Amino acid sequence: MPQGIIHIEGLSFTYPGSGCPVLKNVDLEVEKGDFVAVIGSNGSGKTTLCKAMNGLIPQYISGDFAGKVEVNGLNTLETTVASLARHIAYVYQDFENQLVRSTVYEDVIFAPLNFGFADYRERGLQALKILGLEHLKDRFIWELSGGQKHLAAMAGALSLGPDIIIVDEPAAQLDPLTAVRVYEKLQILNRDYGKTIIVIEHNSEFIADYCRSVIMMDGGCVFWQKPVREALNRIDELKERNIHPPQVTQAAHLLFQSGSGKNNVGNYPIQIAESEAYFAGINLKPSCCAHSITEPSPANNREPVITFQGASYGYKTLENTTHYVLSNVDFTIYEGDRLAIVGSNGAGKSTLLKLISGIIKPQSGGVTVYDSNTRDASPENLAEIVTYIFQHPEEMFIEDSIRRDIEYFLKVRKNPNLEVLVDQVVNGLQLTELQNQNGRLLSGGQQRRASLAIGVATHPSVILLDEPTGSLDISSRKEMVAMLEYLKDRVKTVIVATHDMQLAAEWANRIAVMKDGKIIEDSDKYRVFGNPALLKEANLRPPQIVELCHDLGISPVAFSLGEFSNRLVLGKEDHHGKYYETVE
Amino acid sequence: MENIMKRLNKISVENIKLEIMRTTFGNRDTFLSQLDPRVLMFWYLIFAIFPWFIYDKIVLVALLAFVTFIAAISKVSKVIIFLLCFGIASEIICYGIVAYFLGGGLEAFLALIGLTMKLATISLASIAIFGNIDPERLSDALLSWGVPGQITFAVSFGYRMVPVLIEEYNNIINSFRLRGKSPEHKGFLYWRQLLHMLKIAIYAFYPLIFNTAKRTRTTVEALEVRGFSYALQNKEVKKLKLAYLKIRLKDIAFLAGSVSYVIFLMIIVK
Repeated sequence: MPQGIIHIEGLSFTYPGSGCPVLKNVDLEVEKGDFVAVIGSNGSGKTTLCKAMNGLIPQYISGDFAGKVEVNGLNTLETTVASLARHIAYVYQDFENQLVRSTVYEDVIFAPLNFGFADYRERGLQALKILGLEHLKDRFIWELSGGQKHLAAMAGALSLGPDIIIVDEPAAQLDPLTAVRVYEKLQILNRDYGKTIIVIEHNSEFIADYCRSVIMMDGGCVFWQKPVREALNRIDELKERNIHPPQVTQAAHLLFQSGSGKNNVGNYPIQIAESEAYFAGINLKPSCCAHSITEPSPANNREPVITFQGASYGYKTLENTTHYVLSNVDFTIYEGDRLAIVGSNGAGKSTLLKLISGIIKPQSGGVTVYDSNTRDASPENLAEIVTYIFQHPEEMFIEDSIRRDIEYFLKVRKNPNLEVLVDQVVNGLQLTELQNQNGRLLSGGQQRRASLAIGVATHPSVILLDEPTGSLDISSRKEMVAMLEYLKDRVKTVIVATHDMQLAAEWANRIAVMKDGKIIEDSDKYRVFGNPALLKEANLRPPQIVELCHDLGISPVAFSLGEFSNRLVLGKEDHHGKYYETVE
Repeated sequence: MENIMKRLNKISVENIKLEIMRTTFGNRDTFLSQLDPRVLMFWYLIFAIFPWFIYDKIVLVALLAFVTFIAAISKVSKVIIFLLCFGIASEIICYGIVAYFLGGGLEAFLALIGLTMKLATISLASIAIFGNIDPERLSDALLSWGVPGQITFAVSFGYRMVPVLIEEYNNIINSFRLRGKSPEHKGFLYWRQLLHMLKIAIYAFYPLIFNTAKRTRTTVEALEVRGFSYALQNKEVKKLKLAYLKIRLKDIAFLAGSVSYVIFLMIIVK
């Protein structure tokens, strides 16, 4: 077998000060022109492996290193990180921090200029052209959206003309549609420019759509390396490591297990595009409950908690014009609502939450929380009723241990039961072990939990969560959903702004769809996800199982695999009441 | 008072943020911003040092008028000008009071006015220059004068980080407010409320520093990968980087014009 573009032999690595190796005797070959996904549970060594490829390990991050890594025939021990950068590019998970100059153009010429290429301008422009970013050339980095920043970071790495590009968890930090756009660019780089792409990825649907092979890491070893179809068909092995195979794959597997699917073990569909053909051959027995959806409970007998009366909000731009993020919103939120606000980036979701919290005030119209108009109430006073959990937990850590963060609210209010109340929250959210640590040093999932605890400790009636499952891996995400359940009996109203359609479908009892600063739909999951035209208009990507239902013409749509198989295979007679029970 | 507080709330962090952004990033097509950064720095040095050696009121007035003109054509931030005027006005009032009570009368007052004019000239020159010189170009000017690469990079990196830090500072302040408790009694002239806000504004730096420290880990690695330290050791790279700096007719005209104006003033007075 000829040597691949990346050749790793007996690689072991231990971080300084830690007893156990992160990588254990890894042998690996990556073919030129491949599009590889590296998967594995947290701590399995994915990022360490990739940093060993571009030489940062062991040259910059020293530690106990053994074995051999060759990139394009260059040994990483004998070649400097800077020289390796011309062969291998790295886009970090926190890509914003690798953008070091103030404009896009300055940033893309940074590396070629540093290496003294006389044609640094052309190199920078070429990188922008490949990624279709020419129109952003003179923009400031801070003006860009998350997706644009990600592509700018990639352009900065591409300007050195590397053959290999490593991208660390692109889908985790970006909203789903932006992640698709990033993957489309990666696909172009791979197909048209012959670049070898390596992504660290948790989301199996992206892997199915874009990758060609998969490397599974487990406990510091390469567990296997397989073509994508074969890899994603290893359903049990994936699930054991907290990776969810695509829902279509799982659906096909479930159908087979229940005795009505094709015996196609190891060859289930992995993409939504191929599933229609696959399921078409199976005798499906849809149960008939299209007519039996209940109306959402009538609003008039419930207590309104938050009311928007023609509220608008905009911010001033540098050119002194006002950019409206929210325009003329009329909306009422009631006690008992578990409301998910969905919509693409810039639709106004976060602004809506901030208006409720009183951090910002509407420019026209009004927002009323219980009896107080937010215009007249300070955020400090509103905080007694409403808690706002930030999108980035780090911005909520104002003390140096999370216990002190949780106490803060009660302490400044001189609450006599402080110790008891804080202990309750700490235990309830399983933070006992972590309570004395600095919030910033926790993992992503732990940080979310801590930020939620800070909110819960204020004993609010209303909790607002901004993107609570953003940038979490599957197991932390599950944990977060469980935490939201914990809130159910403690808080009267919970409002979540999210890109996570699965969360909206599983958890919410009311969904508001936003687009361009307006609420264009306000109903329940059946109406929202059962309406492909609406989803398209609002630029939403429903859970794959819902898409499958659309393709197969199943109405009302199913939201979980269990539901899907129940209703299709066993053909249960579902009364709608019962049906709701199984869903919730 | 209630009303004033509301207004004060309006010049909130949000607006201050906007104003800082405008000062830092807003002026990209003014006359000054198109000049060579080295010439601008040199011009600045003249107008920052020269006024100290002038005692003649007329020359000072003429110098002040000149830098005011330069500041006016370079669209400096209104808020900063307001702050400057506010400072000068209160200073003059103070001088008046002090001169009246301690004696010395008009003479002492005028002597102090001279100092104020010097300071105003220098301040306006600073505002005009630093509001218009692109920090990237400023750092290149410094580099060409032999300032070490690490320092010049810090200048331009600060420029990149300003918006990020402001945004984060704003969010941390919000975090403090959303969990804090504002004083129940606002106090005379709202002093308790103001003290509360002031405390928050100071406390908020602590988490900001932590968060920034965490962020730099990736930045440092990325700088290494992107050849930052390689460039520091390489003279050719520096040459390539600075090749675009060219002193053109416009630059010479500006500098020569300014200098001859100053010389002209000196001659007239003599």
